[in-house]
Amino acid sequence: MPYQSILDFINFADPYENPFTPFMSSNLPYDLCYGLWEIIGGTIAWLIALLFGSNVVSDWLLRDDVTVLFAMILFMLVIFIVAFVVVLLNLWMERKVLGRLMDRRGTMIGLKGFLQCVADGLKTFMKENTIPAKVDKMTYIWCVSLIVGLSCFVACMVPLSNRWYVVNYDTGLIIIMAFYALAPFFILVSGWAQNNKYSLIGGIRAAELMISYEVPMLIIIATTSLLVGSFNINDIVAAQSEIWFIIPMCLGFIVFFFCAIAECERPPFDIAEAETELVEGWQTEYAGMKWGLIMLGDYLRGSVSCGMVAIMFLGGWTIPFIGGTAIPEIIFLIKAWFVFFLMILVRGAIARVRPDQILNLGWKVFMPLAVFNLAIAVLLKIGGFY
Amino acid sequence: MAMKYLDKYPKNLAKSLWIMKPVWTAFKLFCKTVVHRPVTILYPYEKEWIPENYRGRPGLRFDRCVGCGMCVRMCVTQAIKLIEVEDDNGNKVMRPQVNIGRCAFCGYCAEYCPVDAMTVTPEYELAEYTRYDLLYGPRRLHYENTTPGMEVKLEVTLPSDIENGNPERRVFIFDVDKPELTDSKCIGCKKCSKVCPVNAITMVEKGVNDKGKPIIRPEFDNAKCISCKNCVDACPKDALEIKEVL
Amino acid sequence: MADSLVPVLEAQEKMDTDKMWVIWGPQHPFSHGLWTLKLQIDGEFCVDADPIVGYLHRGWEKETENRDYARIIPMTDRLCYCASMTYSHLYCMTVEKALGIDIPEKAKYIRIVADEVCRIQSHLMWLAAVGTDMGNLTVFLWAMREREYFLDLNVKLCGARMTTNYPRIGGVRNDITELFDRDILRAVDRFEKAMWDIIYLIDDSSVFVSRMRNISFLTREQCANMGLTGPAMRGCGVDFDIRRDDPYDNYDKVDFEVPVLNKESKVGDTYDRYMIRIEEMFQSCDIIRQAVAKIRAIGKNAPYRIKTPTRVPAGTTFGRLEDPRGESIMYLVSDGTDKPYRLKVRSPIFTNVSCSKVMCEGVRIADVPAVLAQIDMCLGETDR
Repeated sequence: MPYQSILDFINFADPYENPFTPFMSSNLPYDLCYGLWEIIGGTIAWLIALLFGSNVVSDWLLRDDVTVLFAMILFMLVIFIVAFVVVLLNLWMERKVLGRLMDRRGTMIGLKGFLQCVADGLKTFMKENTIPAKVDKMTYIWCVSLIVGLSCFVACMVPLSNRWYVVNYDTGLIIIMAFYALAPFFILVSGWAQNNKYSLIGGIRAAELMISYEVPMLIIIATTSLLVGSFNINDIVAAQSEIWFIIPMCLGFIVFFFCAIAECERPPFDIAEAETELVEGWQTEYAGMKWGLIMLGDYLRGSVSCGMVAIMFLGGWTIPFIGGTAIPEIIFLIKAWFVFFLMILVRGAIARVRPDQILNLGWKVFMPLAVFNLAIAVLLKIGGFY
Repeated sequence: MAMKYLDKYPKNLAKSLWIMKPVWTAFKLFCKTVVHRPVTILYPYEKEWIPENYRGRPGLRFDRCVGCGMCVRMCVTQAIKLIEVEDDNGNKVMRPQVNIGRCAFCGYCAEYCPVDAMTVTPEYELAEYTRYDLLYGPRRLHYENTTPGMEVKLEVTLPSDIENGNPERRVFIFDVDKPELTDSKCIGCKKCSKVCPVNAITMVEKGVNDKGKPIIRPEFDNAKCISCKNCVDACPKDALEIKEVL
Repeated sequence: MADSLVPVLEAQEKMDTDKMWVIWGPQHPFSHGLWTLKLQIDGEFCVDADPIVGYLHRGWEKETENRDYARIIPMTDRLCYCASMTYSHLYCMTVEKALGIDIPEKAKYIRIVADEVCRIQSHLMWLAAVGTDMGNLTVFLWAMREREYFLDLNVKLCGARMTTNYPRIGGVRNDITELFDRDILRAVDRFEKAMWDIIYLIDDSSVFVSRMRNISFLTREQCANMGLTGPAMRGCGVDFDIRRDDPYDNYDKVDFEVPVLNKESKVGDTYDRYMIRIEEMFQSCDIIRQAVAKIRAIGKNAPYRIKTPTRVPAGTTFGRLEDPRGESIMYLVSDGTDKPYRLKVRSPIFTNVSCSKVMCEGVRIADVPAVLAQIDMCLGETDR
């Protein structure tokens, strides 16, 4: 059957048979969900049939395309929950490592402090949903949804291994970066919508940060795909099976690492929410659940940054000379967490950089370094190393 | 004397972003605190050692107290008030009650207590559910583990002793300052003897006056007197005064 | 104002952009206490500043007129929660001057030790505040950790951590406790080693240094005209320290250096003001060592507190001392009773904070916390 609509996945009983499928030959979370739904749906259908005899609902539940539909819904949930748990682990790690760095203990509630994240989340959800007077309500509320939604979207898009992913497009890296760069735009808008001077300054700062750090970051992504010859994440990881890109592109790694910190607005590049001068920056007027979601979005973006560094420079889910292992997801997460650990170290050790210094750094240091890195990559490509 | 820090700094840092040393310093501490414990303590479960003379809430040794009101007089925040309670024998006596909500923890009540009944205690966890619970009555002020180190001694050296070449002698302020009577002002009203908490004042007849009525004058038993100034305050004619020995 | 900023500012003037008042305070993360800074900003630059203080005014000076002299000492502790010892010391010193008595040698040295412990812990509090103002919590916690050791010393000395209530008219409250001299020497030795970690974190980090360098220049004349005192003044080339130039108690008998920067150029920036305080902490360690040696030499049984009359003869007295934050002065008018007629306090911060207009002009918004951190705000003494 040819391509018909966006509902194609229903038209093909087995999505692997779809010629337009973004799935490759196997997709572990999908297979898991399919098996899971076969059990759940089958049980429900059996129970209903037991009660009412042969009926329409049971037959409908047991149809192939319906099974695929429910498997897809479960698949979405599983992908998001895994990304969410990874982010919670990131949050826990930040609290503990930052605590030890500062000679204190970090959170102590339950499971070595892990449950503190849950408690904080619940606490923000219990808060009253306040909207200040004289804000632009529509923009004020929608900006949070968009920022958080985009962050969740990007976090789900990062593959954990060659079998744990959502889609496997040839332009995977570009798509992730495109959605990644959208959120600062809404930060600017929400800064305006809040009718607050701190928020406005914070929003403008977020915009200038985005403009100056997006460019070197994209140049480095271009460099990577130049070496590989593809934007496909699988290809990028496969190209690093022998030697990680951190070795030919060590300059690029440093630049990308700092750009990634700036991109997810973590200290020391958190000028958009610099709490000493702009109380909470563009988040000043957000409270309760909205603020909690924004913090979650921040950490989701942080985990995406780490994942990108791990994919592009640290060989993703492979280990050199060994190749794939039985648990590539864990290998990948360990690498991502290591990058996050470096981020925490930088956060703990240095102070917040001033906005003009950040711009100077972005345009006068990182930009030339990124171009230089590109030149090295071109030379390597011409020399035939890649 | 050399400068320890200014001799080495400011360093001529290169204009580049050189951040490796702070990152390394922070990483070293991270490794240290992962292996050993951080310096912080888990407060409700672990507590810091505090010395004997720690100034927590005031404590009272009921049996020693004479109810002189010196703590009330010296209290900086007027947190102390004398209330009537029954002592062990069932007699009504005046004893201090401390409002911890007002207390400034300055330790003056313990320092100026002439009989060392008031002490400082190392108790500092004083949160209560209501303000009424913050009132510490005389019995509640008792602290069972009172040690001699919790008494605050008001020992001073007299300037005259230093001049006489005897600087090592310490005196207790309440042992040397005693009330003195200006005989011409006294009207013999007996108020001082009524307020004296230790019954150190006895009214003595000293002959008769021109009209044939007896002249009554207070007489002070300096061994008993604790120099609490109650008689000075009570005197309606300002006939009494504390004579300061310097 | 840095030279590099001038063309930028000129270009901005030509653009004719609107200026905006941003009000920082009374509750704002950068203000250590309750005060307001009104800032007029033009883009990222600050063109005008207006400090507003007085939120914490509690009638301190009037209150003292209703108390006898001894009962004012706990109140002086509450003037500044970081430097309570120096204020009690200043008050007792002023009253002793009014009484015309000389206190025992031992008490003088104990007061020096207590003062310098207070200076170190106050400066560490300031360092912690600098850390948070710059956006680094590690400096904050490390400095607070060091400060704990000195607060513990306060506990060993007099039983309280911050509101010490230790100096008395005629001496000090109690003799140094057993092993206090040993503990303080250990703490000082430890501190001198541990302090370098924080210095590496700040002075070897070009982020910290470049944020403090070349902003908010103050000349020596400006300092004199605005009445700026303390480490901020010494960073701008004024070589003046009351401990050395008008010694009180026994400061003339201990040997120490007064750190002064920019003696020739007579103009200092924020980083200079920062460096002075760090060096002052090391000098305080030296002073403590010498004073403890002197206390040990004097012996255990020497008098530490003499009896003083409760009534102060009529007259006016003036006492001053080098607070961790600058020059604090008390002016006492006594009328022969046991209560002061008037007690005026000159707080260093009240004067220093009025310089914030000059200090903030032409710096960027992000620099304002860094610049004003060098004042080391303490609202208790400012508003009184």
